[in-house]
Amino acid sequence: MAELDVTVTVNGQRRRLRVEPRKTLADALREDLALTGTHLGCEHGVCGACTVLVEGQAVRSCLLFAVQVDGADVTTVEGLTPADGSLSPVQQAFRDCHGLQCGFCTPGFIVSATAFLAGHPRPSETEIREGMAGNLCRCTGYQGIVRAVRQAAAAQAGGAHDAAR
Amino acid sequence: MTQLDSRGAARWVGQSVRRREDVRLVTGRGRYVDDVTMPGLLHAHFVRSPVARGALTRVDATAARQQPGVVAVLTAEDVNPSAHSFWVTMMGPDAARAPMRVLADRDVRYVGEPIALVVAESRYLAEDAAELVDLDVDPRPAIVTIEQALSNGERVHPELDTNLSGEIPAVADHELDRLFAEAARVVTATLGQHRYLCVPMEPRGLIAAWDPWQQRMEIVASTQTVHETRAQWSRLLAVPEESIRVVMGDVGGSFGQKMFPGREDHAVVIAAKLLGRAVKWIEDRAENLIAAGHAREESMEVSLAVEADGRITAARAHHLENVGAYPIFGDGMSAPTAASMFPGPYHLRRLAFSAQGTYTNTSGHCAYRGPWMMETTAREQMIDIVAGELGVDPLELRRRNVIQQDELPFTTATGLVYTAVSPAETLEQAAGLIGYEAFRKEQEEARARGRYLGVGLSLYIEPQFGFGVLGTEAATIRVEPSGRVNVLMSTGSHGQSLETTVVQVVADELGVSIDDIRFFQGDSAATPYGPGTGGSRSAAIASAAAMQASQQVREKVLLIGAHLMEAAPDDVEMACGAVSVKGDPAAGVPLAQVAAVAYLNTDALPPGVPPGLETTARWKAPMFMFSNACHAATVEVDRVTGQVTLLRYVVSEDCGNMINPMVVEGQIAGGVAQGIGGVFYEHFVYDGDGNPLTTTFLDYQLPTAAEVPDFEYGHVVTPAPTPGGFKGMGEGGAIASPAALINAVRDALRPLGVKITAQPLTPDAIVQAIERAAG
Amino acid sequence: MKSAPFEYVAPATVDEAVRLLAEHGDEAKVLAGGQSLVPVLALRLARPGVLVDVNRVDGLAGVRRDNGRVRVGALTRHAAVERDPDLAAAVPLLARAAPLIGHFQIRNRGTIGGSLAHADPAAEWPAVALALDAELEVRSSGGQRTIAAADFVVSTFMTALEPDDLLVAAWFPVWGAGAGFAVEELARRSGDFAIAGAICGVQVAGPAVTRAAISLLGMGSTPLRARAAERRLTGARPDDLDLEEVGQLAVADCDPPDDVHASGSYRRRVGAALVSRALARAMREAQGEVQDG
Repeated sequence: MAELDVTVTVNGQRRRLRVEPRKTLADALREDLALTGTHLGCEHGVCGACTVLVEGQAVRSCLLFAVQVDGADVTTVEGLTPADGSLSPVQQAFRDCHGLQCGFCTPGFIVSATAFLAGHPRPSETEIREGMAGNLCRCTGYQGIVRAVRQAAAAQAGGAHDAAR
Repeated sequence: MTQLDSRGAARWVGQSVRRREDVRLVTGRGRYVDDVTMPGLLHAHFVRSPVARGALTRVDATAARQQPGVVAVLTAEDVNPSAHSFWVTMMGPDAARAPMRVLADRDVRYVGEPIALVVAESRYLAEDAAELVDLDVDPRPAIVTIEQALSNGERVHPELDTNLSGEIPAVADHELDRLFAEAARVVTATLGQHRYLCVPMEPRGLIAAWDPWQQRMEIVASTQTVHETRAQWSRLLAVPEESIRVVMGDVGGSFGQKMFPGREDHAVVIAAKLLGRAVKWIEDRAENLIAAGHAREESMEVSLAVEADGRITAARAHHLENVGAYPIFGDGMSAPTAASMFPGPYHLRRLAFSAQGTYTNTSGHCAYRGPWMMETTAREQMIDIVAGELGVDPLELRRRNVIQQDELPFTTATGLVYTAVSPAETLEQAAGLIGYEAFRKEQEEARARGRYLGVGLSLYIEPQFGFGVLGTEAATIRVEPSGRVNVLMSTGSHGQSLETTVVQVVADELGVSIDDIRFFQGDSAATPYGPGTGGSRSAAIASAAAMQASQQVREKVLLIGAHLMEAAPDDVEMACGAVSVKGDPAAGVPLAQVAAVAYLNTDALPPGVPPGLETTARWKAPMFMFSNACHAATVEVDRVTGQVTLLRYVVSEDCGNMINPMVVEGQIAGGVAQGIGGVFYEHFVYDGDGNPLTTTFLDYQLPTAAEVPDFEYGHVVTPAPTPGGFKGMGEGGAIASPAALINAVRDALRPLGVKITAQPLTPDAIVQAIERAAG
Repeated sequence: MKSAPFEYVAPATVDEAVRLLAEHGDEAKVLAGGQSLVPVLALRLARPGVLVDVNRVDGLAGVRRDNGRVRVGALTRHAAVERDPDLAAAVPLLARAAPLIGHFQIRNRGTIGGSLAHADPAAEWPAVALALDAELEVRSSGGQRTIAAADFVVSTFMTALEPDDLLVAAWFPVWGAGAGFAVEELARRSGDFAIAGAICGVQVAGPAVTRAAISLLGMGSTPLRARAAERRLTGARPDDLDLEEVGQLAVADCDPPDDVHASGSYRRRVGAALVSRALARAMREAQGEVQDG
């Protein structure tokens, strides 16, 4: 089919694309918008390396077509990175806790963990492990990843506590 | 938190320094091969065999070539004549290997074998065109299992008169026979292992760009080694090595699968040359599961001669390996290394080891984290089986057989000499950490209530090899005129954190901050020759080279600095990035000033000291180094469903001095998770016709965070006899864990008389084992 | 792993959607959550000529209470079902099955209608619909009709939907007081399709079980009602019941498939255990004990 025009807000910026309907959101982000932080690990919705936020919800961008997000708000790992060069609490926690080695799965985990913690401010151990079960990692054995999510949750809780005072 | 030494200078080695790699990787600014693009880049996709074995009578690309956006469809007749050589440096040109070809020609020998390469303006268009390539394949019965390969008169490779890729024949050994005859008991078992895979999160891929005017090939590859790939492609294309440049950026894991290029990589490189274009190939996950290198499908029949007190004096082992149709290198056999490591950390006096590798119509063997690990998988299970027969606790049986410190140096039954290992110490530490004695009580109480808990141990020695291609590592250290330090390494780190650990070593040696050092690797035009990263050796051996180079640079810095300060060289030291008089750290000459003199104001140099602050040190590795560890696992098995819950997992590790304990533990963790995956979840399955059944992540199942408990670590430190005292350890997690896990399940189900001799231990397999034992 | 080319349309109303389905017939496929369909497209196991994206159809999502029943719009996401407290109170099985579906990223997009129409034998929603005798509301250019859950799933990945049908809602009954529900699944990993699963509802009034519903997933090419087991339960006193035996009865006629993950005999063995465990929990809830989720 002929290409369709798509207008989508990505990381706070309005972008215009012209894509075939079958082009996945993952491919459009990587190729048309040069946002290569979102990775392809399986292209069938299991590994989570392609996770992005659409309207604030964590989704697999390999299972969405770019044409479907016309008018929507998309956030990638690049958009979760503070503009001043610092790291977000989740990114910092992954670094502090050795939650990555080769780094290929990491953007997907950063996005998933950020979304997960937004919905689970005080997660239990089980909730953390199940919450992260939608992303595959082959290097870390998940040890540093679970520690990172624990640390980021604690940082979040601490922050909220301070704000409440 | 940084440790400071007595002068207030930071000491980096030994600290769990946060990684330099992380900032770009957590922000999505890593640069993996698929992130790289260039003008005019074309995209490749393979047409692959749908059948495991058969005559390929027609490949018609006419319709495919006519598709818009398709630049070429290349078949065997286009590509294969350009392939002049396939051997890998490590094995040499005369090593036995399968009759190699790039694209399938006249027949096909495994499902997924590449037949044609479509090159188009996008991957989407290439896949569309690939579907239009017409194939006529006349299927023949496939040879899929080791048993079939051994018994079938048909040949996987008609050019050969055998289905054996290699063999270590059994040899008569009268001393061994005597030990067996005199033994109080002989215990025999055949232990099987299934096919499971590396599965890096980033599949294979590369960009090859041939510039016909300059006659130069530029390659960006997802690889473990830029120099070996350059060497192989130079031989493949019969072009001088220096006309090829291979660069690795960030690589998304490998575990051995990307140690050597595969046939697809060769096809893409040739396509780039034929077309005079830049061609990118990125493997998708289905291809990675089906057609990238496979591993682990082996069995070992072991007989142990056991004395009445449980001492194991002699062993016979016969090792069978399914190496697929086209092993990635050589004969695909791990047996030689498995043989030499089989005695492990025990007093075994005599070993007879024989082996056969069999070709089959399946995807070919590649290295996978500790390729020889069957020796530990089999040996450690045998220890538990012998313990069961003797009525001795498996921990106690290991205590009776393990090598003690006062026996070092110890020469094994296979001629290896251990000088700096600590198996007994790790055994005790692991047993202590897991609370072995208390667990036995807990186990007994649970059994009384109808619950099945078990503990399993796995004790092993891990080798690092330093001969041939692996014999040296190099480091170039350049202090720039600005005083910044650049380190160029022969390594190919792809998750091993060398960008951090090597920098830690250099920082300590040079007396500068890690923030002042930049690390480079993986550019065949710029970084020194080396084997890349694999085989558990990079940090240990490359850091020795980095230390030597740093020491050379430091000596010169001190000479120049002393001269500038008009002090004696023996009176100055280097710390916190400056040369200062000992005891007077405040007044010093910063490294930048020394560098400026060395490069720009050379008249100010001391007499006889040449200009510049750069050096390359190439360190010769010892032929063997050994690290060791003990793994302990506790599980609960649900007798009704066969499900296994992992309770605790403990590793006591001795890898000598640790540059970065956090990195060491991370390497252990990744390997153990792969063992958990292999034993319980991952199984690459072929049907009887050689058709793969587990071709996506829906069916080939990796463990997630929910399936892996928190791991616990203990460390024993027996420094290596090398600069720094570091030892390699990256593969150990995957080598030792399967036996610990299987032993734990065996231990849990012992009261039911269950025998376990095969993997994977799926719930169904466990239920079947329980039912068989019930009779 | 890229999809074959297709035309794409995104209707704004149900009328428009069914008109497009009528126009394109066999060539059209409905795109809802995409969590099952898009992998199929990426693997080129299917290549529809037209994808009818119903994600922008007005009124296709949402939950509504209607006269003793609950209407769940087909486009309602699993995540929305998981998070809806009123729905959890009215039809507890929906809230208890939802968290078992995949992972939260899947649940953010996947829809109840998509799952029903996809008819994976190991999926939760078709088995819940069967257990509760749900009714599926279907629209086409020919009008509206209702399909009973028992008639809905025909075989693996096949339903009674015609190519030009659009599933628009599922109607679930609200059981009254004295009801208890449970879902028990055995999956290899958190979030996997179950190897076997049991969906149970029981109602107890006075001394006896007045109502029982048991459906099985992963035990055949469709979800299955265990009617013999239900009959054993109905009218019996809870204390008189041997739930292990009822579990065995529930799977007695099943012939579950063999595949790479499990054998048929394993599925039957586990299925029986899952039924008894689910019944035990449902009974406890029906008799007034607090459900532990």
